Amino acid sequence: MADPKYAALFLAESREHLRSCNALLLEWEQTPGASEPVNGLFRAIHNIKGMAATLGYAAVADLAHRAENVLDAVRSKRAAGTPELIQLLFRSVDALEKAVEGAQSGKGEPSATLLAALDKAAGPAGERLEKPAASNPPTGAQPGAAGAPGGAAPRLPARGPAGHLVGVTIRSGTPMRGARALLALRRVEALGKITALRPTAVAIEREDFDGRFSFHLRTGAEPAVIEAALRSAGDVERVAFDADVSVEAEGPVVAARQIRIDLHRLDTMMKLVGELVVARNRMLELMRGGDSELVELGGGISRLVSDLQSQVVAARMTPVSEVFDRFPRLVRDLGRDLGKQIRFEMEGGSIELDRSILDELGDPLLHLIRNAADHGLESAADREAAGKPPEGRILLSAVRERRTVAIRVSDDGRGIDRAAVLAKAKRDGLADPAAEMLTDDLLLRVLARPGFSTARQVSGISGRGVGVEVAFARARALGGSLEVQTETGRGTTFTLRVPLTLAIVRALLAQAGDERYAVPLAYVAETVEFDPQAVTTLRAREAVVVRDRVIPTVHLRDLVAAKADSLPPRRPTIILEVGERRTALVVDGLLGQQDIVIEPFDAPRGLPPYLGGATILADGAPALILDAAALV
Amino acid sequence: MSNTVLVCDDAIFMRTMIGDILTQAGFEIVGEAESGLQAVQKYRDLKPDLVTMDIVMPDMGGIEAVREICKQDPDAKILMCSAMGQQALVVEAIQAGAKDFVVKPFQPSRVLEAVQRVLG
Repeated sequence: MADPKYAALFLAESREHLRSCNALLLEWEQTPGASEPVNGLFRAIHNIKGMAATLGYAAVADLAHRAENVLDAVRSKRAAGTPELIQLLFRSVDALEKAVEGAQSGKGEPSATLLAALDKAAGPAGERLEKPAASNPPTGAQPGAAGAPGGAAPRLPARGPAGHLVGVTIRSGTPMRGARALLALRRVEALGKITALRPTAVAIEREDFDGRFSFHLRTGAEPAVIEAALRSAGDVERVAFDADVSVEAEGPVVAARQIRIDLHRLDTMMKLVGELVVARNRMLELMRGGDSELVELGGGISRLVSDLQSQVVAARMTPVSEVFDRFPRLVRDLGRDLGKQIRFEMEGGSIELDRSILDELGDPLLHLIRNAADHGLESAADREAAGKPPEGRILLSAVRERRTVAIRVSDDGRGIDRAAVLAKAKRDGLADPAAEMLTDDLLLRVLARPGFSTARQVSGISGRGVGVEVAFARARALGGSLEVQTETGRGTTFTLRVPLTLAIVRALLAQAGDERYAVPLAYVAETVEFDPQAVTTLRAREAVVVRDRVIPTVHLRDLVAAKADSLPPRRPTIILEVGERRTALVVDGLLGQQDIVIEPFDAPRGLPPYLGGATILADGAPALILDAAALV
Repeated sequence: MSNTVLVCDDAIFMRTMIGDILTQAGFEIVGEAESGLQAVQKYRDLKPDLVTMDIVMPDMGGIEAVREICKQDPDAKILMCSAMGQQALVVEAIQAGAKDFVVKPFQPSRVLEAVQRVLG
């Protein structure tokens, strides 16, 4: 039972269920009469209970069981879905989360008050679902159960006369497993009423499943009788009851075609593919001008490597909803704590990002959303006084923009007080004392300064710094950027922009002096010829006019202090674009595009901020990678 | 007394094959039908213990025949004989009242297993 593989699966599955619990509770709260959220919650919690009982996690199973009782009471109309009851279930889900996380160490036991509240809400004991076998004192007084020698799992008993949860596996290789499953179902139909069939009957009939299905049978029949009935349909390999029913069989139909992969394994694959790409590039370089058959073979291998690369990248792509989905609950709680009415909306949840990038976004988004709720939105009274609807709005959205994803946190609150920030910036010597206006850029730089958050005297924006600092640093670390737009009285939008994937990116190679530099294509808008005639100035900086747009210039030579050879007669210019901002990077020459593997610097101390890492080029020579976000 | 069987299939080859498998296993073939219509009539006349039913037949298909037979005798024990790729039709037949199915090409052992289950 202590098999770490099962413990890990339990954790992963339970977390998924708990996440859907939060979503379902929110849905229920919006539509108190609906029955689907209640059924969904019941299923999710029932699943957790089943797994926990199997692994001997008594505290989790006990808590889940009590929560299940409450849900059952609602389902059978013995209790109503009042706001208090929903709040109680929110608390239970939180407690369940703690219990699940602490299950292995025997920690995270729920409080007796919560358990008592659940029992009270579930109504008279006689009408509840049968208690867990152990029927221990409330707090599941066997913390050591999981690790107890020979730890017999306290199986939750079958749900008495109410029936059984039944899981069936049709032998693999059986022709027409769907029809076979249907036969099995018809055999047990004679014994009772089938509900909660997973996958759906339609999916089973179409054989859109992997041979496993589960259902609840409301019956007085013994498991042995049910099993015999199922087996009489033929080709039934396995029948499981209640806690033994594998949760996979309950999952969505598509889950049957998916497997879980340890992220480390994907990371390793990605790294290997990265090295393969570099080797491929080097190989193509060496093959140039060689035997024609060899060149053809090289081309074939090259295409295969590219396909492999895109497959591995695709395998790592995860919808942003994985991270987004935790926020509705957070905002709901924030709204309650702050006494604000907040409407939280999400868009673009299906946009995909590299898993390793996505994992880094939870924190910064949390801070930005918290700031929006806490500081961005006004109280209902203030909003009404300003002629706004009392309910504040926070929008979390993801948009794919070229090879980056822009994630925005927008509020329709008061906006950031530029004057106050400017005054503060002047005091700190960050802004020109004569400055009259604070640009969005400078605003962001001020907000993102580590010390800024402690500046409590700046009313209305205190505390903003912490979150912005985190988001700013994280965005930069990922090769992305953070932008802010704010309008007094109308609201604030933070845009966190990150590349689609790390590790392998397509880059433009540029030359300055003797050195070569890689510029990730994600931020390259276009390349143009540098035209000295078009040079002008913009706020005391050199700029160039490209298609009627004045763009500040940066000369790569100056930036990297390249040896002052004579300037080449023609100088290409790379127009970098990060969000709305552009910079014209003037270089000595362009050397084409290449897939590069980014090797981040280990300890980037004392390195200029415009360097984002290093890479090995196709010819085996190293090159530095320019960080576009730092240049614009 | 051995169990009696009505074999319904429009192909002589299939009727012969099923007949052989079942005869060797000790069943008595009491009749054959080449169409759904014949199957319904012969079921009424012969009252067999078991019917093997092809799905695709002229003059009323197998599924329609299952429906008609089960209307007369809800306990009729009908085994569907299906070709691969006809799962949707098999599902329909089961919903119409067929008790089990075998998939062509037939393996004698699987046919007999299915027959045992149906008669079981």
